Amino acid sequence: MNYALHILVYFEIYAIFALSLNLVVGYCGLFTLSHAGYFAIGAYTYAILSVSKGFAFLPATLAGCLIAGIGSLAVSLFAWRFRGDTFVVATLAVQAVIFSTLNNWFSVSDPVGSFSNLTNGPYGISAIPHTRVWGYSTDSAIAMLVIGGVLLCVCLFCFQRLLASPWGRLVRAMRDDELAARSLGKNTRLVKVQAIGIACVTAAIAGSLYAAHVRYIDPSLASFNENILVLAMLVVGGTGNLRGPLVGAALLTCMPEVLRLIAFPDALSANIRLLVYGLTLSILMHTRPQGVAGEYRLQ
Amino acid sequence: MRSGLQLLVNGFASGCATALLAVAFQLVYLPTGVFFVAIAAIYAVAPFLLMSAVSRGIPVWLGIAFSVTSCAVLALLTEWASHGRLSKLGASSTVHLVASLGNYILLVQLIAIVWGNNPFTIRAGLDTTAHMGTVVVTGTQLTMIVVALIVLGGMFLLLLRSNIGLRLRALAENPMQFALHGFNANSYRLIAFGLSGSLAAAASLVTANDVGFNANSGLSPFLVAVVAVITAGRRSLIAPVVGALMLGILRAQVAWVWSSRWQDAVTFGLLVVVLLIWPEGILAGKSRVEAST
Repeated sequence: MNYALHILVYFEIYAIFALSLNLVVGYCGLFTLSHAGYFAIGAYTYAILSVSKGFAFLPATLAGCLIAGIGSLAVSLFAWRFRGDTFVVATLAVQAVIFSTLNNWFSVSDPVGSFSNLTNGPYGISAIPHTRVWGYSTDSAIAMLVIGGVLLCVCLFCFQRLLASPWGRLVRAMRDDELAARSLGKNTRLVKVQAIGIACVTAAIAGSLYAAHVRYIDPSLASFNENILVLAMLVVGGTGNLRGPLVGAALLTCMPEVLRLIAFPDALSANIRLLVYGLTLSILMHTRPQGVAGEYRLQ
Repeated sequence: MRSGLQLLVNGFASGCATALLAVAFQLVYLPTGVFFVAIAAIYAVAPFLLMSAVSRGIPVWLGIAFSVTSCAVLALLTEWASHGRLSKLGASSTVHLVASLGNYILLVQLIAIVWGNNPFTIRAGLDTTAHMGTVVVTGTQLTMIVVALIVLGGMFLLLLRSNIGLRLRALAENPMQFALHGFNANSYRLIAFGLSGSLAAAASLVTANDVGFNANSGLSPFLVAVVAVITAGRRSLIAPVVGALMLGILRAQVAWVWSSRWQDAVTFGLLVVVLLIWPEGILAGKSRVEAST
């Protein structure tokens, strides 16, 4: 039972993460490979503040959102000038810089969270305290499920309202024809900054939730493979609407459990899971580039 | 002074291997527009193929030929099964990129399933060294430099002096017009992929002899090669070689001055700076990037 709850919490975390990526990829039409970096920023901020300063969930998450929001300007700056492959490579550079910083900002002789050992480098941060919300410690899987569920619903509601608003229509107009949107007097640069900022802040929320639930994080959260995982969720589920990321997160969170039913050798199960991800990505690009439940075809 | 020269040689040697991979990437990217991520998996499989061949009693030179040919075939297969079909469907560059990512993951996991996730080495025992004045050059570094010079020299002869090269460059300039002149663009795409696969294998084999290899060892050199291409200039076949050599020397300096842990951060930091100041690359002519995107 506890295991099933764990899987559900993972679904909630990755659904929020995929929703945030969908705003950039599916609504802005900007294919980014740096999103896992912002997920990791949220997770690390939460972990550092809760371990070294005793912060509770909400203030630590808010701090993570603030840092991710400011950091999102790195991607926005490139979004102003580039599209297509150049933008992809630029975001990859942002991801690599975030990963290297998390991996290298450590000194074994100093306590975790101090300036000289901020991230504890490749050793990661362990024993992250149980989440506290308004003074209540939430050390059970059900409590995490409720918190994750509430956050997912809040994110879904906010995204739905935002994307149904004139701002949401402007974002889609910019995606479909940026020049036309600019010719109508719309400030597309500002819209990109706003959309990427919101997406990175939402990714940081998912990262905080991840750190609070798993209670151990390391720089692999910002790795290329983590990017691939969330990208696979988005591409499989579909882009350009709110259903797609939810479907993708559900499918790819459940896939390892389904594969578990087939008696693969333990040593190969991780490889087979990734192999299925790769195969799925490749086949979907040929058969259904908008994903299982998406509306927007990747451009 | 001595350490400076030594670092220059070390950087130049690793830059040579990066140059091979950068040209391999560029060979596909220029004529087809495909961001060929799967080449990182082809790079990863090359030393495994050589190792398997040698372990079955095949001579090393034949094993190298087998590995290079197999990698070329693998690259052709990705074009035939994936990118060629996507191009016929009119897929965008992002769709090609995602498909190539999928192919990369698929191939790397197949490598891991067949050969395992453990690291391997080709070279046994200590490397030989040669003293050139105050500078020490290892046998592996010498191999890297000589192989890169020969292979790249041959490749540029092919691309700049032969009809095939001329047609590949024409395909890169304007694929539609190329087809309208009666050339079969698909066959030339296949040639580009085949050449790219064999160059990636050459880059991989010289590097594996130096630092070893595993199933996931292709991604990091691939990303460095892409940085070399983007920083030097995306519209040229020669610029990536210069970019790779510059990056090799820079990374060697970073390892000496700070730590090898910061090599990637500096490499990608450089990419960020270059993209902001020279969006078309350091060696490219001046043009607004919006015009081409």
